[in-house]
Amino acid sequence: MTGEDVIILLPLVIVAAAAVAAMLAIAVRRSHAATAGIALTGLAAALAEVLVNLWLKKGYVGHLAVMDNQALFVIGLVLAANLVVGILSYGYLSRRRERAEEYYVLLLLAALGGMVLAISIHFATFFLGLEVLSVSLYGLVAYERGRLGVEASLKYLVLGGTASAFVFFGMGLVYFDRGSMIFFWVDWLYGQYGPGPLGLVAMVGCVMMFVGIGFKLAVVPFHLWTADVYQGAPAPVTALVATVSKGAVLALVLRMARGSPWAGYYFGDRAVYYSGGVCPSAPVFWILAAIAVASMFTGNLLALRQRNVKRLLAYSSISHLGYLLVAVLVSGAAGATAAGFYLVTYFAATLAAFGVVTALSGANGEAESLEDYRGLAWRRPALAALMTVAMLSLAGIPLTAGFVGKFYLLTAGAGAGLWALVIILVANSGIGLFYYLRVVWAMFERRATEEKELPRIGVATGVVLAGLGAAVVLIGVWPGPLAELVRAWMGGGW
Amino acid sequence: MDTQTAEKTTELWPLAVYAGLVAATVLAIVTISYLLGERHRERATGLPYESGIVPTGTARRPLPVNFYLVAALFVIFDVEAVFLLVWAGAFRQAGWAGYVEIVVFAGVMGAGLFYLWRVGALKVIGGRGEHESGDTDEQ
Repeated sequence: MTGEDVIILLPLVIVAAAAVAAMLAIAVRRSHAATAGIALTGLAAALAEVLVNLWLKKGYVGHLAVMDNQALFVIGLVLAANLVVGILSYGYLSRRRERAEEYYVLLLLAALGGMVLAISIHFATFFLGLEVLSVSLYGLVAYERGRLGVEASLKYLVLGGTASAFVFFGMGLVYFDRGSMIFFWVDWLYGQYGPGPLGLVAMVGCVMMFVGIGFKLAVVPFHLWTADVYQGAPAPVTALVATVSKGAVLALVLRMARGSPWAGYYFGDRAVYYSGGVCPSAPVFWILAAIAVASMFTGNLLALRQRNVKRLLAYSSISHLGYLLVAVLVSGAAGATAAGFYLVTYFAATLAAFGVVTALSGANGEAESLEDYRGLAWRRPALAALMTVAMLSLAGIPLTAGFVGKFYLLTAGAGAGLWALVIILVANSGIGLFYYLRVVWAMFERRATEEKELPRIGVATGVVLAGLGAAVVLIGVWPGPLAELVRAWMGGGW
Repeated sequence: MDTQTAEKTTELWPLAVYAGLVAATVLAIVTISYLLGERHRERATGLPYESGIVPTGTARRPLPVNFYLVAALFVIFDVEAVFLLVWAGAFRQAGWAGYVEIVVFAGVMGAGLFYLWRVGALKVIGGRGEHESGDTDEQ
């Protein structure tokens, strides 16, 4: 690793250093504010560095990683989401009795794992990122150490370990067939026409890798953990699982599906050609399409009768990942752009929704039942308005970010001729409307029963929540600038 | 291309044979010991053999969780030693860059050790350290 590599990887180095610094600070003296300060400063510094890196330094790090526009975009998204979760967590943890400091170390490590996934172009970095992300999430999910939290974490751990084993075995099989662990074709191995159709062994390997990836994305049939983990984890951690974990893995899938986003770059002195990705074959396409359809339907149908808001959002996220897989299937620049835009809208709306859940959760339990939201509009109009905006955005109502995101997905799907998927996506948006609007309906109902004491909201939390709400609405009414940004960054190249 | 694929498919049969042999061996061992093994039931047949001494008490006692912390610690630093030894083998080739990298690596490990020591994870007996004093688990 040369000094240049360190500069390219500076955002990751900053976050890693912040994690070590936070750990040392805990060892010297326990202080919630100090540890949170170190963590949030580290995340903010890394985010600032991403903006600097955008113009300063991009490139390859050995065979293992690449810092291109797409990587910087996803890293920025991961860091921003982590920053939001960190600020929300501060207020949340202050109201709890648990010791809060180690939480921030794990939060930083989760960010680091997501960033490694974002830059990965090689099975080694892929697995490293996946594990760093997963292992820190196991700890975060069980952080409250309540019965539900430990149960959720154990389920996540056992299933996650199994999924990792599948990924590892799948990598081995693909390597056996292709003789390379890099995500794209390498001409000295295959000649300039590529390896031809995949062998049976590589195909099995690809499917096995997707078992693990599908587990992290929580798509059907690997979704069984989702509702329990969402419910058992502390609300800010649930937000992290819903956004950072899924977003980073999806970015990796996009990279694997596209391979190198530009043609004819030089790897040492050898040319590497534009590829169709790691697993470019018809059966893999059909399997992914089936998974996308199953996720859309299963997620939406299971959410219909949920009366627990966290579980409802869990099933909703399953269907959203189904939508996103449509963009992955489109592949190429159009698919990546649509996926990037949808990720931003999904991140903003999901963080806003879980932000409200976090803000309403006091010292005695979380506000997770639909009953807790009944009549909220009359008691906390601002929070209810934010939750309404988030729900409408997740449902894809016009004038919210979610609508524009879905519009991009539909355009990309239609452009690639995936009509069946597009129609199923539209139908599912209709189904989803029911349960999103039920939450909104509950908040605007008047209720006569006695009122529970609602926790106070800190200034930082309030500012973050207001910012999220503003972002969702702003993207909805004026999507142009963000669309340009996403096209420039996710479209590939430097 | 064609010869290559053909080669790959033919390479698979030794694996099947190997798997078959493994299954056959296991089956043979179990069957033979079932046929040849003694079957008797005396008073002490089911007792664990402890050098002729009559066993006392049960082996299933609750262990302090700190034991697992120490076990985890051992794994962590054992793996660190693996990396250090690999680096030591390539000391000259790795040069100053390698030296800086291994120092960073060992530094992070040292920070981890410092943290574990301060939170009392190294106290195998007697529970938690002064740093962990007083709360959470008892609630």
